[in-house]
Amino acid sequence: MKTRREFLQGLIISVGGASALSACGDAATIVATAAGEGGRFYSADEMALISRISDLVIPRTETPGALDANVPGYLDALMSDWASAETQNNHREALQLISQRLDSLSGNFMTTSEAGAAAALSELDSDAFDGDNGLGGYRSLKGYITQSYFATEAGATEELKWVALPGRWDPSVDISTGD
Amino acid sequence: MAEAEFDAIVVGSGMSGGMSAKELCQRGLKVLVLERGPEIVPERDYTDQLAPWESDHLDNVAQDEIKKHYYKQYSGVAYAIKESTKHFWVKDDEHPYEEAEGTSYDWLRGYHTAGRSIMWSRQTYRLGPQDFTANLEEGVGVDWPVRYEDIVPWYEKVETFVGVSGSEESLDQLPDSVFQPAFELTDAEKTFKQKVETRFNGRNVIPARIAHLTNATEEQRALGRSNCQARNRCHHGCTFKAYFSSLNATLPAAERTGNLTMVHNAIVQGLDYDPANNRISGVRVVDAETNEARTYNSRVVFLNASAIASAMILLQSKSESFPTGLANRSDQVGRNLMDHVSSAGVAGIMTGFEDKTVFGRRPSGGIYIPRYANVTENDKPYKRGFGFQGGARPLGNSGGQIAGIGRDFKEAHKRPGPWRFSVLAFGEQLPNPENRVTLHASRRDRWGNPVPVFNVSYGENERIMQKEAVKDAQAMMEAAGCINITTSNADLSKPGNRIHEMGTARMGRDPTTSVLNGWAQAHDVPNLFITDGAFMTSSACQNPSLTYMAFSARAANYAADLISEGVI
Repeated sequence: MKTRREFLQGLIISVGGASALSACGDAATIVATAAGEGGRFYSADEMALISRISDLVIPRTETPGALDANVPGYLDALMSDWASAETQNNHREALQLISQRLDSLSGNFMTTSEAGAAAALSELDSDAFDGDNGLGGYRSLKGYITQSYFATEAGATEELKWVALPGRWDPSVDISTGD
Repeated sequence: MAEAEFDAIVVGSGMSGGMSAKELCQRGLKVLVLERGPEIVPERDYTDQLAPWESDHLDNVAQDEIKKHYYKQYSGVAYAIKESTKHFWVKDDEHPYEEAEGTSYDWLRGYHTAGRSIMWSRQTYRLGPQDFTANLEEGVGVDWPVRYEDIVPWYEKVETFVGVSGSEESLDQLPDSVFQPAFELTDAEKTFKQKVETRFNGRNVIPARIAHLTNATEEQRALGRSNCQARNRCHHGCTFKAYFSSLNATLPAAERTGNLTMVHNAIVQGLDYDPANNRISGVRVVDAETNEARTYNSRVVFLNASAIASAMILLQSKSESFPTGLANRSDQVGRNLMDHVSSAGVAGIMTGFEDKTVFGRRPSGGIYIPRYANVTENDKPYKRGFGFQGGARPLGNSGGQIAGIGRDFKEAHKRPGPWRFSVLAFGEQLPNPENRVTLHASRRDRWGNPVPVFNVSYGENERIMQKEAVKDAQAMMEAAGCINITTSNADLSKPGNRIHEMGTARMGRDPTTSVLNGWAQAHDVPNLFITDGAFMTSSACQNPSLTYMAFSARAANYAADLISEGVI
């Protein structure tokens, strides 16, 4: 892993700092923090991995994506402030496993093309929801990413149309007319 | 005895204590309410206005913190204990208890103004006539000294004040309350209702009855209460005061009489007894923060500390006259501890509603299936029965636990998804004197009070009943056309987990076998009333808060009569 970590470190420096953050799927989207920096919990390469996965799972569409909503930063805080040492260790081990599996599917998940990375993650995701019990850590990561995204203001209000004060209960709304 | 400082002392400010205090105050009595916890100030302590993104880490309590402070509370009610609501729940390490070997017990609670009336789930049902006669007819426990007709006017009075949304159904076993409009059923629930009621003669599927305002009365508006806004943030408190709690309704009403004195952080350690006139002469209190000891006195004492805490106060109040605890000549104090019993929930998918969704977040509730076992169906291998709570709603946002990535995955969360129907049985637990709470022989809490020891187990009747309930639920789901019907292999709910503790100072006709008479007045001590769950002679299967409040109102007015007549 050491060699790979060193490689990723170099990659992050090479693609620029936080200003390179973009949700549109170019190579720079792997950077969610300043160049070469991890978070409070994540190392720089873990943060890069989380960022790329988050972006692929919930991309920017007509509404903000996971990176726009700073999901990687949210996860970093979740792991730092909420998770026990046991959960942290399990999560860290899961990231290693996920990284290895994605690399074996794509050659190199962090440097492959957008399409290549999406194909690799798609396959892993499909395995994870098709009975591969070794991928519980991935399902859990996907849960963190998704729940975090929908708990942000962007995810809740723009994507889910969450309203603070419904004011009434309507038990039957046609989807074609409802918003 | 010197002239009393107060006419009445009410111990506890929760569901029943609030109602006792309101009624006593409104009868013109000077009332002191002793609350063992700190004050809750809605403007400061309710967190219902927080948006999802205003809470950290998905509003989850840190895992290490759960392990250290909430190991019992969280494992019991994880759904209600969030980072933004944890201040409503006790820290287990500060308020320990023990369980007899081979048993376990969930004592889930909060110590603060209004107690658990802030965190309750608001389901509100009357007991029916059968619930007051079952013990007598079956020779179980002791006979209730009260019949349904005796309590009807008090149900009506309390419901009118509290505000209960529900529908009139004219069912004998689950009499109608004074209602405000019900929350309408979803389309899937209406289909379920139609199919189940057609297939199973005598079974009814009705809107859950919940203590939420849907057409606030003038009296309720005058207390600053308004209609439910369908936010489903109730476990965070309610700034609209739309759901009933002591803090949203009874305590403000009591305060407006000018007769209420409320003291917080006052932990009752015991009741002093004067054998010369056979009366409680003082309520001994220790301050939770300063450890200062004080004694208050009054003409009458209402225990509303919760079934377990009230029993403990009596057991702690030993004297020459009552060597095993005050008002305990029957040896029934702390015994017959009951809860409601559940087992596995049953769930299934209802197809055909994919083009439907809902607007608003319905608080609590959904559907209720009133008890039919041993009411309209008499072929059961168990006594008594159960009601089902449940409902159907779009499964919706599945929290990332569906396959796929990218745009399709993201947008799948916008769609309502399949409609899921789920139900859970709440069953009656029979009274058993061996199910009890006692005081630990030596272990003390930080204020020097004995910690409780629980020894509670379910019996055969509860086990058989719950097995049958799961089968019944599966059959109803099938009849309604549900697919993918699932049930976990869950064992029975842990005693205490439904948070309906009751029975520890039961009412009865005979002072040698019961603690309280039909007015919830102690047989042994005329100026002692207990109107929390302790008085319940049997548990019925309905959520009990409304019944506690109805008996509180009735007892308070009876006590006020006795005071004005100079009897106590």
